[in-house]
Amino acid sequence: MQIFRPRANTLARLFLVGIVLVPLAVLSLVMLYWRSTWATDVGSYVEQAVPFSHEHHVGGLGIDCRYCHTGVEESAFAGYPPTHTCMSCHSQLWTGAPMLAPVRQSLARGEPLRWHRVHDLPDFVYFNHSIHVAKGVGCTTCHGQIDEMPLMMKANTLYMGWCLECHREPEKYLRPREAVFDPDYVPPDDQLSLGRRLVGLYGVQKGRLTDCSVCHR
Amino acid sequence: MRAGFDLEGLRVLARDGRPWKSLDELAGSEEARAWLESEFPRLAPLLRTDRRRAMGLVGAMLGMAALTSCGQPEEEVLPYVNMPEGLVAGNPLFFATSLPLGGIGRGAVVESREGRPVKVEGNPDHPLTRGASDAFMQADLLGLYDPDRSQTLTRRGTASSWDTFLGEAVPVLAKLGAREGEGLRLLTGAVTSPTFAAQVAGLRDIFPKLRWHRWQPIPPDNPREGARLAFGQTAEPRPRFDQARVILALDADFLGPEPAMPRFAADFAATRRVRRAGPETMSRLHAVEPLLTLTGVMADERLALRSSRIEAFARALGRRFGLGAPGPDLKDDEGRFLDAVARDLEGAGPAGLVVAGRGQPPAVHAIACLINAKLGAVGRTVEFLPPVEAEPVPHLASITDLARDMRAGRVEALFIVEANPVYDAPVDLAFEAAMERVPFRVRLALYDDETSAHCHWHVPAAHPLEAWSDLRGEDGTVGIVQPMIRPLWGGRTAHELLAVLGSNPGASARGLVEAYWREARAGDDFDAWWRAALQRGTVPNTALQPLAVTARTSDLPPPRFGSEEGLELHFPPDPAVYDGRYANNAWLQELPRPLTKQVWGNAVLIGPATASKLGLGDGDLAALALEGRTVEAPVIVQPGQAEETVGLTLGYGRSRLGAIGDGVGVNAYDLRTSQALWAAGGASLAPTGETADPPLIRTQDHHAMAGREIVKEATLATFVDDPNFVLGADDAPPDTTTLYPKWPYPGHAWGMSIDQTVCIGCNACVVACQAENNVPVVGPDEVARGREMHWLRVDRYYKGDPAEPLTLFQPVPCMQCEKAPCEPVCPVGAPVHDSEGLNAQVYNRCVGTRFCQSGCPYKVRRFNFFGYADDDAYANQGTEPFKAARNPEVTVRSRGVMEKCTYCVQRIQRTRIAAEVAGRQLEDGDIQTACQQACPTTAIVFGDLNEAGAEVVALKKEPHDYALLGELGTRPRTTYLARIRNPLSDEGEG
Repeated sequence: MQIFRPRANTLARLFLVGIVLVPLAVLSLVMLYWRSTWATDVGSYVEQAVPFSHEHHVGGLGIDCRYCHTGVEESAFAGYPPTHTCMSCHSQLWTGAPMLAPVRQSLARGEPLRWHRVHDLPDFVYFNHSIHVAKGVGCTTCHGQIDEMPLMMKANTLYMGWCLECHREPEKYLRPREAVFDPDYVPPDDQLSLGRRLVGLYGVQKGRLTDCSVCHR
Repeated sequence: MRAGFDLEGLRVLARDGRPWKSLDELAGSEEARAWLESEFPRLAPLLRTDRRRAMGLVGAMLGMAALTSCGQPEEEVLPYVNMPEGLVAGNPLFFATSLPLGGIGRGAVVESREGRPVKVEGNPDHPLTRGASDAFMQADLLGLYDPDRSQTLTRRGTASSWDTFLGEAVPVLAKLGAREGEGLRLLTGAVTSPTFAAQVAGLRDIFPKLRWHRWQPIPPDNPREGARLAFGQTAEPRPRFDQARVILALDADFLGPEPAMPRFAADFAATRRVRRAGPETMSRLHAVEPLLTLTGVMADERLALRSSRIEAFARALGRRFGLGAPGPDLKDDEGRFLDAVARDLEGAGPAGLVVAGRGQPPAVHAIACLINAKLGAVGRTVEFLPPVEAEPVPHLASITDLARDMRAGRVEALFIVEANPVYDAPVDLAFEAAMERVPFRVRLALYDDETSAHCHWHVPAAHPLEAWSDLRGEDGTVGIVQPMIRPLWGGRTAHELLAVLGSNPGASARGLVEAYWREARAGDDFDAWWRAALQRGTVPNTALQPLAVTARTSDLPPPRFGSEEGLELHFPPDPAVYDGRYANNAWLQELPRPLTKQVWGNAVLIGPATASKLGLGDGDLAALALEGRTVEAPVIVQPGQAEETVGLTLGYGRSRLGAIGDGVGVNAYDLRTSQALWAAGGASLAPTGETADPPLIRTQDHHAMAGREIVKEATLATFVDDPNFVLGADDAPPDTTTLYPKWPYPGHAWGMSIDQTVCIGCNACVVACQAENNVPVVGPDEVARGREMHWLRVDRYYKGDPAEPLTLFQPVPCMQCEKAPCEPVCPVGAPVHDSEGLNAQVYNRCVGTRFCQSGCPYKVRRFNFFGYADDDAYANQGTEPFKAARNPEVTVRSRGVMEKCTYCVQRIQRTRIAAEVAGRQLEDGDIQTACQQACPTTAIVFGDLNEAGAEVVALKKEPHDYALLGELGTRPRTTYLARIRNPLSDEGEG
């Protein structure tokens, strides 16, 4: 009596191949997903109550980052501008624009504007803007070409691996302090030699930048 | 320790000189051994499950583990509409204020994060705290956010409003005003606020017959009365321990729960630091006391004596100094002790100091004053100040008068500010019943508690962190109290209530305080002066000037000794809840009491011989009776306590307070009468034959370590002879005993030194650590399982005869071992070393295997068995208000995560980043850990071991520096300076 049909041989071979391939495929899919923009949200805009355009304000008008993000040089948080900062111009300009109604409302009612966070690190990560700015990490290095973003979006994954790229080799990314807030800054061709010089000049302690305790507490 | 133990047997066991943590451990009981062998000995029985169910649980765990990989919740950001001046989002602001304890203002600096107070520190510019603090100050922060504080103004228990209250109060006051205030009474605790005093003085214009009664259960009556006997004028002694070489404490626990403790402890420690250079500067402390206190622990010579014998002792000492103080003769051992003390004091002359405790009768205080005068110490080791209390009155007489007048129907309206007499007035006054006869009763208080339940009106009070006021410190220095946050639940200050009495109901507390100082301070530019006073936290030139006193030797009242029959019952303030006011504070309830290591409750304390005689042991339920009143309480056998004495701390058994304090412990006020506020003879204690339920919870055997010699101590003479006495044969192996190269630390290398000679075991560091690092409260049941989460514990060891042991404290944070046993055992690399030698714990890597916990010989790792910080928080601890108290710079750990002391890595990073951004170098002392900052005696020093001039480096070079369990070769970064004592026997005496 024939228990196995000829097809069984094929199935068995397929099975043996599958044992190897299927987990690999699943793993690859997970990795692909993890790195895809579905998971990272890189490049996708977030709806905000007020469609604030960095493209217009930074790229068009040339307003300095620190006009609104006042804490960036002295605090962990760059800081979101208080409604008053918006109204310092918009009490004169576009005073009736429907787009700005939530801003006027915030001021009138004394209630804060509610922004959706775009760059959201996990709560066990303690990123500090002031030290990065002091050591010559440019705004656009992490936040991308802000001056070309009509709505704010994430330009990088903010994954730990991504952070470590720079924490391991800061010389690849550092720029002179005076260029930190310059959205048009283009790294020179000899970035590595400039970077190495800046690492020394700014006292970047490369050895300890990969300590867990630098970001996690 | 169970009943029927054998004291003589224990004495034999203790003879080998090894320190022991508990009588259980000394006796080698199975329970104590279980705690040593396993960190959680009762864990296994909690999980009763068969194989099939276990498989099911594992499956469910895998499934749920997958769920946790879901993305982060979306977050919103809410910027300010109008940014407050000076605020940078993300950076803390610091404000100076004062926090009261027993009416005394203790200068504080409060860290505020975007308007939320998150941490209290001492104010370096305030003479009482000088940058340090105590457990109460630290815990005041939690009290601010306590949702059990009363949130509504009530009229006979139902919600009402301020306007309705005014509508009822104003006509009553008008009627009383027509009779010059006859029948109008005000009851407060001790008040030092100049503004409050001026308001009362103003009220007297409207109500000349207003009477202002004072009551707090730990009143300042006796020292004042003693000074009056000695000098014939109203004064309060203010000891200056830093000037003293020889101190005699007569039942004076100046290092215990006491408003001025931070000052006293710092002054005392200043004379105690033993270094290789100049050890001869160490002072000597003699203590005579009935119960074992922190002062007794620090004493170089201690005599355990019933309170009734202490007056006899004091009188005999007085006679020795030529005072006419008749009294009975001393027993032999007392006489020997007295001879030694007297010789020592005479030798010290003006550097001698005798202090008496609040519980001692005025005569003892008078004798102390007069001996100090004889020694020439007045003006040097002790000065006499006018009382800091406004319009000082004896509290006991004051509350007795009030109760009598109420019973007689002479009180028409009673306004109670903060005092809680229904709970804590002497029981024989029957205050509650007397109060029922007052037609109009108003109470302003933080909690709608026992007294408010018997008042017509209850007005929620503003917490000191929400209020405007002013307070005097123990030397009279005024600190302005300024609010850190608007009242969370609409509380009002005492000043606003008094303004109602003064027909000015609209006045704001800020306006009143400011107006007072505008008037009190002559001179122009008030605004600049006021801003400076607020910024510094103190008002300049307000310290009281010492009085010139001349001794009168007559007038000592005849001895009034308590009964020597039966047991003598003592009512000391509690080291965690003080007089009961902190009973709803979960940090304090869960704080292991310094000596008993009990948490969540109090107990009847008895000495070992008394316990043996009565057939009582730890955890037995006993009936304690005094004058026909009885309470039942669990027993703790306290080594070192005078025999035939019983201690029961005040402040427990609250019935109407909140989710934390209600029903915890036994109410000692039920036995406390006006005849015997502090100690009463003729008490009796009998076993009920039952075990206490809820059971006694103590942490003394938890996290027990086993090693050759865990704590090290020596006498000063030994130290002088052999400064390297700590180097036994069993000390740390030399660096060469490893095949691996020495790990380099080229940058900073953080380290800590803890000086056991000046550690007084006060627990300030433990609460400070809890506040700084978001350490959760786990509740009594979890503590009983050994799961308390404190990152820093203070181990208490006894050594020698169980009846009179030497007591040693050892604060144990993470040792930050260079060769950390926790690191190699972790399968996911969560405990890792950083390049500066910190043994970091990466919470987001931790999967909760607890291997590291098993690996840690110091048992300093803590595991979140439940979501103590959020989902499974104890009682009300998970509610929204408490979340505002958290430090935003420290991760809130979730269930299944291991955690431990980090050397306050967030402070290291914050300070370092600030220094680097400002372009300056870190200097020694820039970074202070939370425990270090809180410590009143500066016993904890943190710093960079690579910085040659750092204090910590110098301390580690001291000969008596030793590593805990150094023989294990873990190379801990935290090391200890051995306890050095200065007993008399060194000099061939005693």
